Formats: sequence, structure tokens, C-alpha cells
Amino acid sequence: MTRGIDLSINFCGVTFPNPFCLSSSPVGNTYDMCARAFDMGWGGVVYKTVGLDYEVKITHPSPRLNPLHRGSQRVVGLQNVEQISDRPTKDNFVDLARLKKNYPHKALVASIMGLTHATDWEKLAKMAEDAGADMIECNFSCPQMTVEGTGHKAGQDTAVVEKLTSITKSACSIPVMAKMTPNVADMLPLALAAQAGGADAISAINTVKALTGVDLDTATPLPNVGGKSSSSGYSGTAVKPIGLRFISDMARDERLKIPLSGMGGIYTWIDCVEYLLLGASTLQVTTAILQHGFRIVEDMDEGLSDYLVDHGYESVQQMVGKAVRNVVEPNQLSHATQAISVIDHDKCIGCGQCFLTCRDGAAQAISIQDDRMPIVDEDECFGCLMCKHICPVQDCITYKTVPHHQATA
Amino acid sequence: MNVQQAIDEANRCLLCHDAPCSQACPGGTDPAKFIRQIRFMNLKGAARTVLGNNPLGGVCANVCPTDDTCVRACLRSGIGQPIDIDGLQRFAVDYGRSQGVKAFAKGKELPHKVAVIGAGPAGLTAAARLATYGYPVTIFEARKQAGGMLRYGVPETRLTVEDLETDLNEITALGVEIRTNTRIESKNAAAKLLDEGYSAVFVAPGLWKPLALNIPGADLDGVTTALTFLDDARVAPETIRTLVKDQFVAIIGGGSVAMDVATTAIRLGAKRVYALALEGMTELPAMGDEIIEAMELGVVIKPQAQVSKVLGENGRVVGIEGHETEWVVPGKLTPDNAKKVDGTRFSLKVGALVQAIGQGATEAVGGIITPFKSDRGLATADKQSQATTMKKVFAGGDVVRGAGTVVDAVGDGKRAAEAIHELLSEGQVAL
Repeated sequence: MTRGIDLSINFCGVTFPNPFCLSSSPVGNTYDMCARAFDMGWGGVVYKTVGLDYEVKITHPSPRLNPLHRGSQRVVGLQNVEQISDRPTKDNFVDLARLKKNYPHKALVASIMGLTHATDWEKLAKMAEDAGADMIECNFSCPQMTVEGTGHKAGQDTAVVEKLTSITKSACSIPVMAKMTPNVADMLPLALAAQAGGADAISAINTVKALTGVDLDTATPLPNVGGKSSSSGYSGTAVKPIGLRFISDMARDERLKIPLSGMGGIYTWIDCVEYLLLGASTLQVTTAILQHGFRIVEDMDEGLSDYLVDHGYESVQQMVGKAVRNVVEPNQLSHATQAISVIDHDKCIGCGQCFLTCRDGAAQAISIQDDRMPIVDEDECFGCLMCKHICPVQDCITYKTVPHHQATA
Repeated sequence: MNVQQAIDEANRCLLCHDAPCSQACPGGTDPAKFIRQIRFMNLKGAARTVLGNNPLGGVCANVCPTDDTCVRACLRSGIGQPIDIDGLQRFAVDYGRSQGVKAFAKGKELPHKVAVIGAGPAGLTAAARLATYGYPVTIFEARKQAGGMLRYGVPETRLTVEDLETDLNEITALGVEIRTNTRIESKNAAAKLLDEGYSAVFVAPGLWKPLALNIPGADLDGVTTALTFLDDARVAPETIRTLVKDQFVAIIGGGSVAMDVATTAIRLGAKRVYALALEGMTELPAMGDEIIEAMELGVVIKPQAQVSKVLGENGRVVGIEGHETEWVVPGKLTPDNAKKVDGTRFSLKVGALVQAIGQGATEAVGGIITPFKSDRGLATADKQSQATTMKKVFAGGDVVRGAGTVVDAVGDGKRAAEAIHELLSEGQVAL
């Protein structure tokens, strides 16, 4: 279980008991679900996005999910064509109020999305504050909203983002966070627009617009919803690198002053540490919960606690952004040294995968001896380390650093 | 295995370069290739790889001693459990057949006819391969049905009739003619077949003469051999049930066949079963999983034990006497190297005794090939081409190598077919 280390963090004035939150999604759709998550150790909940149901009735397509498997690995990615909450607006705010009442020390964030009019945002913000939410997250980024002009269509337009943030901010006294879409070339202009509109924080990433597969017999992409499909929100392990990239982009830019809530493919405490080191202060999770349940927070909590102790940090805040200064543009990377693969023949089992990748995908620097042991030609090796990456034996292939071959030639 | 299980297992495979599993198959099957095909979702291709190489691929998935061949070679063992190669082979074959995959087709008919003696694994493999080249092939089979040891020497629990016949049907679908109840053992039979118009002959009659110990009482009722026992268990199980039901049964031998007899005896109602072997517990020739299965069924394995006398009453076995042994020269596992250990005499009450000590060629087989170049009572054939000393006559399977495995026989059949094709396609053999 948890180690009793204080993992709390202050996030734009709200104290989160720990940085682990449900992201606004199917996992935080009702009072019961959120209460169970709190009971199991989650520090915060970003409640499933609520809209106003007086003009637009939300329903979900079915089936709504489609996974990407990779061999025996189930759900390395997940596509979801679900909309915002389909429950009555009033019921959702009743649930939010009950959650705050029964879990006063947990962080409760209401995710909102205006559907028909810009003034919807104002109304929803007031209702959220009245229900006792600690914060509001503006959903500018759902990739599959069927209501015209909402979702990531709104979130791709800097003027719209600034205006809607401003409306929301003006309507309430609690902090407002703007949730960004990754379906853009550059997230910064949008984050800066939200900041200009008064946002207190940025959360990213929402899901990546994607198609995960096609039914080969019916020639219908998946999920097959009545014979058709749509590219829609893709999440899970497969998108973690995209999330880390956008979080670090925003953390590196000095113009953006507000804190970040990171998400995208978080499964383990290691993923959590990576997001924190690259600049996120709180963390949000959905797909891992869909796959494994709320219980996984125990391992995040214990793992992050160990990490803090092992690395001498006294709080989560201290480690936020520690890796940011080590992210540079490709043209700023040093070319003075290079790696050379080193293969430990005592560990090697002779499978020859290193030979194959080097022969067919790299420098043709590895040869195989009669006893099946691979030999690295150090003059030819250019240190891509693909051999190390695919080697099935732990620590069998390592590398040493030498002056760059091309620099010394 | 279902598709998901097969993919999971294939994903554990390291996809070795120059894979040792593939080098280890006596039948020339390429596990590394069909596992890679499963891994990359080319499931029909995996079936083609197995069956295209080995028309008895389905059978082999069930009876192959993989612990001694491909699985033993698996490098995954270096970091955990080896790959379940036989399971994946079984999956590939089952899946392929469920999808109607045909791994081979009858070739365009050629004029040269080929005769095969024996419809066992070697003969069937050679026939199937020759048929794909287009040669009309006739198999002469002494028994009532095709299959050889696969039908008459392997217990139903290891290979069902259904699985065997699935493979057989694929072979006959190629136009291979199997003449059952046709015993070929007249003197100079191979020469006569050549005279009758066959352009080549593959001799693969197997070994069907059970070896028996020359000890007092070996002729008593209730004493039999593994070959007879397993044959009857397949074709006349009531005979065996009557022999072993509620009896204490002793088996002499510690190999795979002895374990087959032991487990069959238990399944047919024996009260207690002993397997007495000259070898030590760790030296038993049977596969590890066969020994474990036998022991789990309650078989008592008595290692380093020799039976010296069969006790009888009214002409029927009632017990055995024997003693424990040790090797004169350690590690040399031959009967003449076993020495009695003083003071270890034992006797056991048994109502049936089965000798599982191997089999030899029937005298008649010697006449098929002329001159019969005999080595240990077996036929002699070239290791690469299976050619005998007789022109246009080839031999393989147990009659050449002694009691071997199915996959060894498959290898012989393949080599013989290639050699026959090479001979006949050179155009120097007159019709």
C-alpha cells in the first residue's frame, strides 16, 4: 500500500492530496465511480464533461470503443467515439455537490463544455462553483463532438479559446483550467490564448484523432457503428510520447506562466515521474483505469513515494520540471561523441536479433561467430543502439561513449 | 490453443536469426518460420509452412518428441521457459485446415510410376511428395488400414484416429493409391515391382517383429510384447481389457513405448502397473513428460532392475523374479553392460507381463531387397538419398534406422522422394 509520504501539491491554489486524478472521461461519470476512486486513493477527480441539456440531448454511438492490440499486448491504444456526459445536467451537479460534501479534502474539478451558445459556459461555470467544485476545466478538445463548433474545433482557434476562457473565468471565482487538443501542429498559441483569457492552468493532452483499424470483411473502419465509423479520440500507452512532447513544449516556453496538468498514456508511477519531470504538476488518467481499474493508484502512490525518497526530493513540487532544461531543439544536440554497442557474451543467449537489425536496418557492424556470439566492429558501429533496444536479455547490450567517428575522421 | 493463445505464445518467441529450433528438426520442419508467421498474423501461411514441409504435420504436432528436438534447441530457455512449439504447430495445422488451406496439390501427371512398400510415416511422406511432383504412386500396405505404427503402435490418447485420418485424407486426395491388405514380402519383391513397370521403389515396411527376452517362463500365457499389446489396444481393446483388468501388470522397458503401454494398461483398468528398466531414473529413454504422465497415473517405475524369470501356475503368469543392477561401465546403457547387485533379489506378483524392449525386422523383409545388405537385421540405405545397393530402390523409416521416431521417418520419406525425383527427372530411366 502507500508509504505515508506526503505527495500533496498545490495546483493554482487548490491542494491536491496527491497528483493522481481521474481525467474527464467514462471513468468519472457518476458519484459512485468517483467516490470509489477517492476511497482507493486518487487525489483528484476531473468529472466527466457536463454540458447543458436544455437544447441538445447527448447520446453515445455504440459500440463506442476500439482497441489497438500489439501481439499479445492488449490495448496498447484505445479509440473512443464517446461524447460528453449523456446524463441530465442537474444530476451531474447533484453528484458533484455530494462528492465535495463527502470528500472535502479531495480535489474536485468540474469539466464543462458549452454546446449551443457562448453563454452556456457562463452558466455551467456558475453551476460548478455552486456545486462546490474546487476548479473548472474547460473542455476545448474533445475530438468527436457531434455538436457543430464544439470540442476540438473550438480548441483549434486561438480567438475562440481566449473568448470562452474569459467568459468562464468571469463567471466564477474558482480557478479555471483549459484542456488542449493535440490535434494541432503547435499547442503554444492556444495555451497562450487561454492564458490571455485568464486561465489559471493548462491540461493536456486530450485524445488524438485517429482510426485504430478496419474490419477486413466488411471494409468498415472500427468501431463499426451501424456500418460506419469515424476517426475519434485515441489514448493509452501509444500516445504517451505525444503527451510528453506537448507538456514539455509548454513547460519550456517562458511566456506561459501557468501550471500544467499532464495526461496521455499514464499507466505506472514511471509514466507519472516522466510527466512531472517534464513540467506537469498534476496528472490525469483514464485508459489505464479502463483497462485495470482504480486499484492501480496504489502502485503510482508507492512508486512515486519511493522515487521522492530515493532522489532526495522533499515534495512533489520540487521535482516538477526538472527535465525541462534538458530538452533542446535537434540542432542544439552535441555531435562530439557517439555510442558504441558493447555486447556481454556471458549474458548473450545467441538469438542473433542484434545481427539482423544491424545488417538490415543499421551499420552492418555486427557479425556472428560460429558459436553464435555477435561481434561489434567498432569502426563501423554508429551507435544507433537499435541492437540494445531489441535485445531480449537484460543488460546484455550496453554502450560506451567515444569521440564521434565522423567528427574525428 | 485458440488464436489469442497462439499469438501470445508466438509473441514470446525471440525470432532468432538462424534459428536453432529449425536446425533441430529431423523432419526438416521450420518452426522459426511458422512461429514468425503466427506472430505477424500470417496464420494460413503458418499452416502451409507446416503441412507443405510435412504431409504428416498434424500427426507430428501430436507425437513429436519436441523436448528432444526443436524445444530443446529453443534459446528462449536462456531467459525462461522455451516456446511451446508443438502447441503452435498443432494450432497452425488446425487453424489452416479450418480455413481450408491446402498445402500441396497434385502435380501434372508424369509417366513414371513409383511403388512404395508400407503406408507408415516414411512411406506416406514419400508418396505425398512424389504425388505433388506428378508421379502416380501406389502404396502397398500389409495391414487392413494405412498408418503403420501411427495406427497400430501409438495409443489413442496420443493420436486419435480422427487426427490420423485427416492427414491421410490429404494424402489420398493427391491421387496416392493405397492398396491395403496387400503384403509385399516375396523374395525379390522390389525387383518384381520394377519388372511390373514401376520406375522406382521405396521400401518402408517398418519393424513388426517384437523382440522378446529369452528367460524362463517367457512363453507363459499372459506374457506379451508391447507391439502386440498396443496394436490390440487400438483394434481389439477388449482383449487387452481382459488381460489387465484388476491385475498387477509388469512392463519390461523404460522407453516411450513402455510408458505408452503403462498408461494404456492403467486406462484399461489395471490395478497396479510396474515399469522395470535397466536404466537409472535419470537415464530412462522415455521423454520427461511421458514419465511424469505415467507417474501421475500411478505407474511405479522401478529403475535399474532386471527380470530374470517369469513365474507361472497352470501355464499362466503369476509373478516375476528379478534383481537390481548397476552399470559395469558407467553411462554405457546396454543390456550387456548391466551387472547384478548381490542381495537385491525381488519378486513381484503380476497377472500380466509386457515386454517393451524394441522390435526387429520380420524375416520376410530381408527378401524385399536383393541383395539384402544387413546391419543389425535392418536394411541399409544412404543417409542423404536413402538409396540402397539396388538400383532404383530406396529404403527408409524403421527398417533402416531401427525403431525411430515419426519425425525421423518423415525425414527419410522426404529424402527418398527427392532422390527418386532426381533420378526420374534426369530422363535416364526408361519407362
